[in-house]
Amino acid sequence: MIRLESLSYRYAETPTTVLRQISLTIPKGQLVGVVGPSGAGKTTLAQVMSGFIPHVFGGEVTGAVTVAGRSVRNTPLPLLVSDIGLVSQNPFNQLSGAKFSVAEELAFGLENLGVPRGEMVSRVDETLRRLRIAHLAERSPYQLSGGQQQLVAIGSMMVMRPGVLVLDEPTSQLDPAGSGLVFDALGELRERGVTVVLIEHKLEQLAEVADRILALVDGELRMDGPPSTVLAADELADWGIGRTRFTAAAVAAATHWPCGRPLPVTLAEAAAGFAEGAP
Amino acid sequence: MTQDFYRPGTSLIHRWNPVTTLSLSLTLVVTAFASQALWLPAALLVFVVFPAALVSGVFRRLLAWLARFLLPVILLLFVIQGLYHQDGPLLDLGPVGVHLDGVLFATRTALRLLVLTGAFLLLLFTTHPGELMTALVAHGMPPKISYLVSATMQIVPAFRQRAHSILDAQRARGLRTAAGPIGRVRALVPLVGPLVLGALSEVDERAVAMEARAFGATTRRTSYTVIADSAAQRVSRWSMLVITIAVIVLSATGVIR
Ligand SMILES: Nc1ncnc2c1ncn2[C@@H]1O[C@H](COP(=O)(O)OP(=O)(O)OP(=O)(O)O)[C@@H](O)[C@H]1O
Ligand SMILES: [Mg+2]
Repeated sequence: MIRLESLSYRYAETPTTVLRQISLTIPKGQLVGVVGPSGAGKTTLAQVMSGFIPHVFGGEVTGAVTVAGRSVRNTPLPLLVSDIGLVSQNPFNQLSGAKFSVAEELAFGLENLGVPRGEMVSRVDETLRRLRIAHLAERSPYQLSGGQQQLVAIGSMMVMRPGVLVLDEPTSQLDPAGSGLVFDALGELRERGVTVVLIEHKLEQLAEVADRILALVDGELRMDGPPSTVLAADELADWGIGRTRFTAAAVAAATHWPCGRPLPVTLAEAAAGFAEGAP
Repeated sequence: MTQDFYRPGTSLIHRWNPVTTLSLSLTLVVTAFASQALWLPAALLVFVVFPAALVSGVFRRLLAWLARFLLPVILLLFVIQGLYHQDGPLLDLGPVGVHLDGVLFATRTALRLLVLTGAFLLLLFTTHPGELMTALVAHGMPPKISYLVSATMQIVPAFRQRAHSILDAQRARGLRTAAGPIGRVRALVPLVGPLVLGALSEVDERAVAMEARAFGATTRRTSYTVIADSAAQRVSRWSMLVITIAVIVLSATGVIR
């Protein structure tokens, strides 16, 4: 569970407030998508939700943040991160550097936590298989493509089985198949009760998998609701977030879209609407 | 770079616990330097380093690297020490003379350098650096030191790669990089900014990534990779330690000379 109460944040030595008066509650087991234009504060929000702001990055925080029942401000970082995973934007910087193979890289966090070896091996194998990177197990993490490194970074967090998982554009360098794999895996984690926060520009896939979408613009939470309402909103295009191809098609085909029917955000919704609208 | 030395193999030495190989290398180096005797480093080279290299199938590479690293150094050593030394000449060749002390010193130093370099090349050729680190941590070395070594070995080449791509990007935008030594140094100047700034701004990000994976945890660590060890190897490591100490003592007391 994640709760923010009128949270505002300013980076150290900068005048601008990057997050403004954000209040929201994410219940356990919800998969929440975060959309917003570049510079909106998405990465900053991810760091707030995972406790690295203010523990690693200084700056000025006002308001309260509670994650997994703990006050972020009053909990030491090692304890905090024991139940929160953050996959950050740049996969290269998430490689530990300590390990010479992908399998060992995945095991790194578990080694630090002192997980018994037998369990460690089975969790690593499961993660390798789940993300279809078993063929890379013996390769050096530094000799992988960006997309492959992204899968390793995601796997290195999934393998630790945190109760809250925050992912900052985890599929930015992946092909459609790889992205699909990640979205499916995140859907499964949600079924197991993991709270997932997913910052993502791929609106169509987000619409399929997310329970809820937050639209962040200029550090403000402008919209918060189910994908079908938030992603279909007219404002999204003005904010530079764009819209799904399905929404765009319905708008473009205005006269063929049934009057009064909400705009579609998934393929199924679009197909149903056009079927109804057809003469 | 160091990773390039290692090539997988199945020989006895490849299968050794890396700590055993490291012990062998250290024993060779310390004993070769402990004594003034010429025969000792020569014997180590001929009866230990070379046979070990033959057994592990790296003999040709070892010779090639020794020649590349040491041949020029050794030649220089003989020329300088042999010709210009204080005591009387061994051979009088008119204006130049060859001095016995100089030749002895050069021979001893050359043999020692050969053992030193040979022993470490043997280690590097047959031991995976990651396995060496894992094995050392298993033997009580602090994981932070292992981290420092491993990360340096992997991140430095990655940074070198980045330097190349920054240079390419700046060339593409019209930066001219001239040939020749001065031109090459000048080509580095525009790299400094992006590299240093990039590295600094990523320090926080790296710290976050390590923290997220519990690197700061105080729990007793476990290890994913298990590196085989055996009673025989443990015995041989202790024996090497005893031999090393014995050679130091015997040399200091003048028994070995
Ligand atoms: N370390 C920092 N110090 C000062 N200001 C920062 C820092 N990091 C980000 N900012 C500023 O905070 C604002 C939000 O940045 P943030 O990285 O959270 O945006 P984002 O929504 O993740 O953007 P993108 O989609 O490009 O990743 C930006 O105006 C940025 O310039
Ligand atoms: Mg970002």
